[in-house]
Amino acid sequence: MSELKDLSIVVLLKQVPVPKAMKTKADGMMDRSGKSMINPFCNAALEEALKLREKVGGNITVVSMGPPNAKQSLIEAMRKGADKCILVSDRLLAGSDTWATALSLSSAIKKYLPDTQIVFAGLQTIDGDTAHVGPQVAEHLGFQQVTYVDKIEVDGEKLKVRRFVEGGWETFLTPIPVMLSVHKSANTPRGPSLSAALRSSDDKISVVSVEDIGLTKEEVGVAGSPTIVSRVLNVVIERPPVVLFNEGSAKENVSQLLQAINAKEEAN
Amino acid sequence: MSTDREAAKLERDMAVPEVDLRNEAKGIATWAQTDGENLHPAALEILGEARRLSEKLEDKTVTSIVIGKNAEKHSKTLIEHGANKVYVISDERLLEYQTLPYVRAVVDALRVIKPEIMIFTASAIGRDLAPRCAARLKVGLSADCTQLDIGMYVNRKKQQRFMHAFKMMRPSFGESKLATIIGPWNYPQSATVRPGVFAPLKSDSSRKGEVVTFDPKWVEEDWLQSVISVEKGGSRIELEKADIIISGGKDLGREGFDMLKELVESIRANGQRSELGASRAAINAGLVSQDHQVGQTGKTVRPEIYVAIGISGAVQHIMGMRDSKKVIAINIDPKAKIFDVADYGIVDDYKNVVPELINQIKSGFTFELDK
Repeated sequence: MSELKDLSIVVLLKQVPVPKAMKTKADGMMDRSGKSMINPFCNAALEEALKLREKVGGNITVVSMGPPNAKQSLIEAMRKGADKCILVSDRLLAGSDTWATALSLSSAIKKYLPDTQIVFAGLQTIDGDTAHVGPQVAEHLGFQQVTYVDKIEVDGEKLKVRRFVEGGWETFLTPIPVMLSVHKSANTPRGPSLSAALRSSDDKISVVSVEDIGLTKEEVGVAGSPTIVSRVLNVVIERPPVVLFNEGSAKENVSQLLQAINAKEEAN
Repeated sequence: MSTDREAAKLERDMAVPEVDLRNEAKGIATWAQTDGENLHPAALEILGEARRLSEKLEDKTVTSIVIGKNAEKHSKTLIEHGANKVYVISDERLLEYQTLPYVRAVVDALRVIKPEIMIFTASAIGRDLAPRCAARLKVGLSADCTQLDIGMYVNRKKQQRFMHAFKMMRPSFGESKLATIIGPWNYPQSATVRPGVFAPLKSDSSRKGEVVTFDPKWVEEDWLQSVISVEKGGSRIELEKADIIISGGKDLGREGFDMLKELVESIRANGQRSELGASRAAINAGLVSQDHQVGQTGKTVRPEIYVAIGISGAVQHIMGMRDSKKVIAINIDPKAKIFDVADYGIVDDYKNVVPELINQIKSGFTFELDK
């Protein structure tokens, strides 16, 4: 049986706002102008890709969609060891839901990286939390998929992949081409290395537009998205004010608290 | 908003021409998850919610799709919990979940059922299955919803008024906001919903329903993956089933979490279902494993009693526990946000309070639960 080697690997990567800087704009869209970082799940996916390349060889292209400032995260990915990057960036993409996002990313892969054998994605992003894009890219590419992945081994010409399910794990043998969405518990991502940092450069990032990837303005952004955010409400938490028990000793406070919990509410 | 303004807005809305793009699509379908043997509790939860939502539709049919080995055995339970129809896809190769055969089964079934709404569970398996089904059906999908509704949606720009739009609501990360997602242009309008959020209907053996044995057009290439091992019991933490959850924050450290474990054990010794929960920060600090995480990126829980100890009350945490029946907060910081959502509290160091709690529970105190 032949062995997997010299793999053409894609890592999907999203730049997200750092959690403390996360805010939505008036239109309900995420404000992406503040401090940013690589989505932690994508970082774990990149790490798995780097580990796999160390074992079997090959090349890693990071594919991302986002504003021009996402380049900083792509440079960071190259400093960890990615070979090159494609950034799909276009004003027309604003308002894309997961369907339109997956269409854009998969169109870029089909056009520029048609020999791709493995797509790594983060299980989900910390800003959108949907976990949709990996499986939807897999569908557009016609790839196998395994999500919630936390262990990957090469097994002949297949991959042996462990995924989390409710109450345990399942280990699959999967052929390639395959999309693997990685849980952030899978590993501790490496930092940049000097040798990789020396190889990284702005020139290795291709910035491509909607037109470049063969799509039209009707297929992306708000126009190409089957769902929209129709409104955003502040969550009002409806609870009466807290009753505190602080007057006595810890012992007294605890017994008053426990009594209050068990007291039957008065019928109105 | 004043009643006058509401009335004026309604008048303007009603002046927008009504459109209905549903064509033949009608009724609601749900996916009933199994673990190979048993129904996942969320299968009945989403069925209950589908039943409630169906009251707002002209066609009130709720169809449940159940897939697995010997899946037909679940039909009766599904009907007793509100399904009018059960589509059974039974295949002995489907003891374990496999993406592509499941996608084939769900998509083929949906093309026959033609519902206007499709609801999946946002479990680890549901979040693998649903996005791929939606992509194949070329429809939108809203993830991890916590509230659902059906009603009027007016788009002034497009001059469209939908009277039966599916409103899929989900918390938006980082802020205490709830976003409403809609997509009445493509059918079925699809959502995944969080396990543990909706209540199932009470089982009623007088309910009648139709069972349809459905054969998808299996394609050999869908079966190229094989399950080679299953490790069960990786997590025995059943936060969603606990009546009393004791949760801790990062600052408790190992010593504090050891105390909380003892507190959980002392409640269990009274025969009550208790579990240990934790904030995201405590998980990230490595104090307990991730299956204990309560909050937006962890589990949504609604126990009878939720005790938050040393938890500051980040919005993401609050989103995961705010529907608990009674909330108790213990925190040394009187300004901690957790007190805003608590019913009872003690402002003190956990080191003083927790041993006393353990003490009084071990000396005979039992929480009185409504159920």
